[in-house]
Amino acid sequence: MIDIHIKKELYGANGTMNLDVNLHIKEGEFIALSGKSGSGKTTLLRILAGLEDAKGTIQVDNKLWLNNKKTIPVQKREIGFVFQDYALFENMTVEKNLLFVNNDKKLAQHLLELTELDSLKNRYPNRLSGGQKQRVSICRALMKKPKILLLDEPLSALDPTMRTKLQNELLSLHKEFHTTTIMVSHDPSEIYRLANRVIVLQNGEVINDGSPKDVLLKTQGSQKFSFEGELLDIKKIDVIYVAIVAIGQQLVEVVVSSAEAKNLQLGDKVNLSTKAFTPLIS
Amino acid sequence: MNTIIAHINDIQSVENLNIVSLTCKDTKLKMMSLELNDTIQKNTKVMLTCKPTAIAIGKKIQGALSYSNQLHVKIISLEIGVLLCALKLQFGEFVLESIITSDSQKRMQLQIDDEVTALIKSSDLSIARVLS
Repeated sequence: MIDIHIKKELYGANGTMNLDVNLHIKEGEFIALSGKSGSGKTTLLRILAGLEDAKGTIQVDNKLWLNNKKTIPVQKREIGFVFQDYALFENMTVEKNLLFVNNDKKLAQHLLELTELDSLKNRYPNRLSGGQKQRVSICRALMKKPKILLLDEPLSALDPTMRTKLQNELLSLHKEFHTTTIMVSHDPSEIYRLANRVIVLQNGEVINDGSPKDVLLKTQGSQKFSFEGELLDIKKIDVIYVAIVAIGQQLVEVVVSSAEAKNLQLGDKVNLSTKAFTPLIS
Repeated sequence: MNTIIAHINDIQSVENLNIVSLTCKDTKLKMMSLELNDTIQKNTKVMLTCKPTAIAIGKKIQGALSYSNQLHVKIISLEIGVLLCALKLQFGEFVLESIITSDSQKRMQLQIDDEVTALIKSSDLSIARVLS
């Protein structure tokens, strides 16, 4: 349904980089776009939206949005875009923000009801919380019934509870409208909950493309419980060694034998793994 | 790291749960696992691994045990600490390490050259790498 074959030279923090992406996206897919900062995710969304130029072709259904001769302007691409910051019209009420895009009162009412914003429709954006503002942005992006919804880390500024609530709303909206959605996200739980496909970019190229479970489950051999960490300390106790490893914000201790300890050096990036049968959940 | 190289003879599956049957020399081994990646199939050679703390030792065993993996090994070294004891065990060309309590070592009178059985539950054995 969407065919993307684009190339663009980018100037990043580490010199020039070639964004070179070839993708086929089916109608109704919910895609999570992941990868380190500077890998080209936002640029890819901006090229799709028509906010940036690139070489190559973009075809949506049978319409060419971009080829080497012409490019269709932003307003003619049927796209909804939601950024991390809300970009609402501050001088308009919630309802007016939606109707400004498309004067369809019935659809606006339906969207506001789905996202529990109905009672706030006469409020101005400065009297809304961050989560409420972002819900308005998402509803507004859907007012044009876009072919593609582009979400650039839309929930990353929100607290965890509000994030989960909005993830559920995004999921209900996707179930109802089947809008093909591409969302930049770094959060594995968000990707697992929402997306049916994950595309990982690195230095402008797709390095992984598959189901969230296949892409995100860090496995080594048959180990299912696997984390990367940094070895901070290792000390001998009796005939064993205890290694202290930092994983994210947490420290963990792992018992290793002298033979295992021999190959370890402080500061090493290490992979901690165990079988799925061992961890306790409480 | 404890490693054993073994061949996969069979894989039994129910949904995403698998029991992998393997052989190493004449010893039959079993490993329990959730999803297996595509490279892990019948007739492939794999490197198995297991934490030293997950290997128990049996001596002159009588009666039945539920341990799916019972390896005949020879003790080649003993490091006896205050609380724990690290044993090195020869299994064919492989050397495995087992960590047990020093009390168990004393109670069982384990010594170098003793022929004993290394016991590993199938859920404690895992595939570290696929070799072929």
